[in-house]
Amino acid sequence: MTHELRGRDLSLGYGGDDVVSHLDVEVPDGRITMIVGANACGKSTLLRGMARLLRPSGGQVVLDGRSLQDMRSIDVAKLIGLLPQSPVAPDSITVADLVGRGRYPHQGWFRQWRSEDELAVQAALEATGTADLAGRPLAELSGGQRQRVWVAMALAQDTDLLLLDEPTTFLDINHQVELLDLLTDLNRERGTTIVIVLHDLNLACRYADHIIAMRRGVILAEGSPREVIDASVVTAVFGLDCEVILDPLTGAPMVLPRGRHHICGGGWRREPPADPQSVRGCPGLRLG
Amino acid sequence: MTATLRLARTTGSGVRDQRRLLAGLLVLGVVLVAVFLLSITMGSRAITLGTVWDSLLRPGSGSVAQTVVREIRVPRTLLGVLVGAALGLSGTILQGVTRNPLADPGIMGINSGAAAAIVASVMLFGAGGLSTYVWFSFLGAGAAMLAVYSIASFGREGATPVKLALAGAAVTAGLSSVTSTIVITHSDALNELRMWQVGSLAGRYLPVFWQVLPFIAVGCAVALFSGRALNGLALGEDIAVALGQHVVRTRLVMFATVAVLCGAATAACGPITFVGLVVPHLARLLCGPDYRWILAYAAVLTPVVLLGADILGRVVLANGELQVGVVLGVLGAPVFIALVRSRNLVKL
Amino acid sequence: MSTQTLSPPPQAPPVGTRAADVRRARRRLGLLVTTGLGLLALALLVLTMMVGSYGLTPWEVVASLAHQSQDPATDFIVRGLRLPVAATGLAAGIALGVSGAIFQKLLNNPLASPDFVGVSSGASLAAVASIVLFNASSVAISGSALIGALVSATLVYVLAFRGGLSGYRFILVGIGVSELMLSLVGYIVARAELFEARQAMTWLVGSVGQAGPGQLWALIVALVVLLPVAILLERPLRSLELGDDTARALGTRVELHRLALIAVSVVLIAFATAAVGPVLFVALVAGPLARRLLGPAGGHVLAAGFVGASLLLSSDLIAANAFSSPLPTGLVTGAVGAPYLVWLLVTANRQGLGG
Repeated sequence: MTHELRGRDLSLGYGGDDVVSHLDVEVPDGRITMIVGANACGKSTLLRGMARLLRPSGGQVVLDGRSLQDMRSIDVAKLIGLLPQSPVAPDSITVADLVGRGRYPHQGWFRQWRSEDELAVQAALEATGTADLAGRPLAELSGGQRQRVWVAMALAQDTDLLLLDEPTTFLDINHQVELLDLLTDLNRERGTTIVIVLHDLNLACRYADHIIAMRRGVILAEGSPREVIDASVVTAVFGLDCEVILDPLTGAPMVLPRGRHHICGGGWRREPPADPQSVRGCPGLRLG
Repeated sequence: MTATLRLARTTGSGVRDQRRLLAGLLVLGVVLVAVFLLSITMGSRAITLGTVWDSLLRPGSGSVAQTVVREIRVPRTLLGVLVGAALGLSGTILQGVTRNPLADPGIMGINSGAAAAIVASVMLFGAGGLSTYVWFSFLGAGAAMLAVYSIASFGREGATPVKLALAGAAVTAGLSSVTSTIVITHSDALNELRMWQVGSLAGRYLPVFWQVLPFIAVGCAVALFSGRALNGLALGEDIAVALGQHVVRTRLVMFATVAVLCGAATAACGPITFVGLVVPHLARLLCGPDYRWILAYAAVLTPVVLLGADILGRVVLANGELQVGVVLGVLGAPVFIALVRSRNLVKL
Repeated sequence: MSTQTLSPPPQAPPVGTRAADVRRARRRLGLLVTTGLGLLALALLVLTMMVGSYGLTPWEVVASLAHQSQDPATDFIVRGLRLPVAATGLAAGIALGVSGAIFQKLLNNPLASPDFVGVSSGASLAAVASIVLFNASSVAISGSALIGALVSATLVYVLAFRGGLSGYRFILVGIGVSELMLSLVGYIVARAELFEARQAMTWLVGSVGQAGPGQLWALIVALVVLLPVAILLERPLRSLELGDDTARALGTRVELHRLALIAVSVVLIAFATAAVGPVLFVALVAGPLARRLLGPAGGHVLAAGFVGASLLLSSDLIAANAFSSPLPTGLVTGAVGAPYLVWLLVTANRQGLGG
């Protein structure tokens, strides 16, 4: 099913000043979108606003033409799933139980467990490779396994849109890649629209179909990674002096930071080079 | 190294601010003296300063007013100063050591430990005077606090504010059921307990003062010199250790000081809650984050508050007095709650 | 681990899959344990009515309850004297257990208890005031305790609410309000006559036997109305356990459900306290005990109720019969509860829980 999720003149804040103001944003349907930016740029706030966790202080979030605030929470939950940044779980909860709670929006007072609920849970467990952990308590699992279980819960919710807030933060690099591969599978095979707030710029460039780069509550640039990510954008968003090349494995943009040490050719300086052009064209560095 | 240096100059541009803080402290000192005198002169029997002067200079003279001054008012006021300083300092230290803004010795089970010890002593040895209770409640308070802290500090996170509060509540509840058991079956214990357990400066005379003076004096001395240690701890254990501080030893000494100060104060006057919690915050508002100043301010400010509440208790009722514990409990709780509301308590 | 690709949307349901098995097994266990606990509570009920200066056999008790007994003396003892007390123990125990279990799950803290967060102290203040200041009758004391509990709980909720309800803030504000009320209680008791003080302190300890028929019926009505509500609210409670964000993402109406749960919990404990006084520890201990018996299965609100009933009934059994003169129930629950509480704190903390 295609859906249209967009923010119109959206302002979001936590009481006091708005973190995001007068923002217009559209989430491309059926694609993987990544929101990147420095800390406190408003990317998590935007995500939470789009998932109806935050009430807009101005403007609205519109799903398929209807404002989110006008819809019932249960109906929103059937269409949009969110994995928040630091989810908490009660002690001694088992994997199967936690993933099962993702079925909440599809159940009701008189409509408890049905076979389709069981199927959704099982499918979610298998998709995340946690099926044989089903009976184990969550607290016994490693960080990577736990994160996958949380993703399974979001999957069990069986939504057409899935929003994830920094899902890779505590994971080893191999688990990060696994998770992003899994989400890509979900997108390609089921057409789920995926929006991820991600810290790691290079992984974002590799996996995203669409990138939204934010700074101080404003969208600086958006588009496909190749269109958006170049040295000037990275400097504008992160304040980082860098070189951007296309990574030899996938052809996605790859950011090479420039610090004060480790300048091409060895040696180091106290200040960044006055003329960045002077250090371009480093031998051995393939550009373009 | 850099951190301590920064902290030493923490109140901005060095000398100018130090002078300002000193001035503030002196002003508070003057206020304390004023309240001191007010406390001696006010009450159901108004006494002029002249009479006070006379009775102090000529101890032999026997007029009623002068007896009141000598035997009742002066000890009461002196005790107020002593107990106030003890409570203020112990509250400050506790907040500094546990690094959480809501630590209060009263919530740590001290009062219920003292109560339990008192009724136990009445049950075992019969009703004695206040002077005999002082020792028992001292011991009971110390034991209870030890229990609370040990219980709360099991586990990864150590003694977080909520765990401390709950451990304190748990120990309090446990001890109070012991107390209730004794009290239900022994009428004399019940009578002694109910009188004692509303914190009050009234009915305490010079003997009590002399009993607790050495403990509180020593405790205050240790406390006032622990500013540097507390400043170090304020940066977090890891940094404190990296800066060369003996964290465990410091903590132990600090807790022992709190136990001594607060135990003695409670033993003398019964449980007085909240003032040890709230006044350090006031002090911090006045003088900034440097614990050396906070301790000094708390030591002077708390007696002012305590004596003020006591004076209020003396005059607010048409006949009879309102104990200082009640006045503070009724006024202190709203301040405590305002504190809780004002902070961003997402995760303590 | 190699990445698994997502299986295509399932057509034929594979029978006996792991997760479903796990859930079904746990549900069965949960049902079994809950039923067992209910039977235990009933057994204790009967036992309470058997024991006393005039001993009875279980058959005599059951027969009398079923109006099948031939002996009017037995009928009088069972239905007239002992049943009200036993029924109070059962009803109050269930109310306390359910209320405590909800509170703890809501605040996500096995150490949170309505005992500690201001509800009981409000009841205490009102009751002591009515005893000492107004020389009230037993019914009036209970009535004012009820009102005191409700007012105090509302106060704590209102003061702790700041754009939403945080568990920590609720606990800390509750402790503050509790201190305020208890200092007033201390003041009133200190100023009272000795016999009034005695009466007040006896009420404060709490006892099953002090409830009259009016309190019992009020409690039963409250239980009948609110227990089904509590069971219905277990579903959103399970959502709320996962944190506000996740609960909202799942479509739970967080503030509304939380308010409803707190209201149910508070009203139950208010009625229980009005009937038997602020009996310590039952509300605190019932939830964790039930959870330990049920394992990680959910649905333990009812089980906690039965545990509470068992605890209260057995405490009363001991308090009323084991000593030379009958003691108030609250002393026994305190003696049992305090070491358990310490153990709970120590073990909870070791797992990094409890705050």
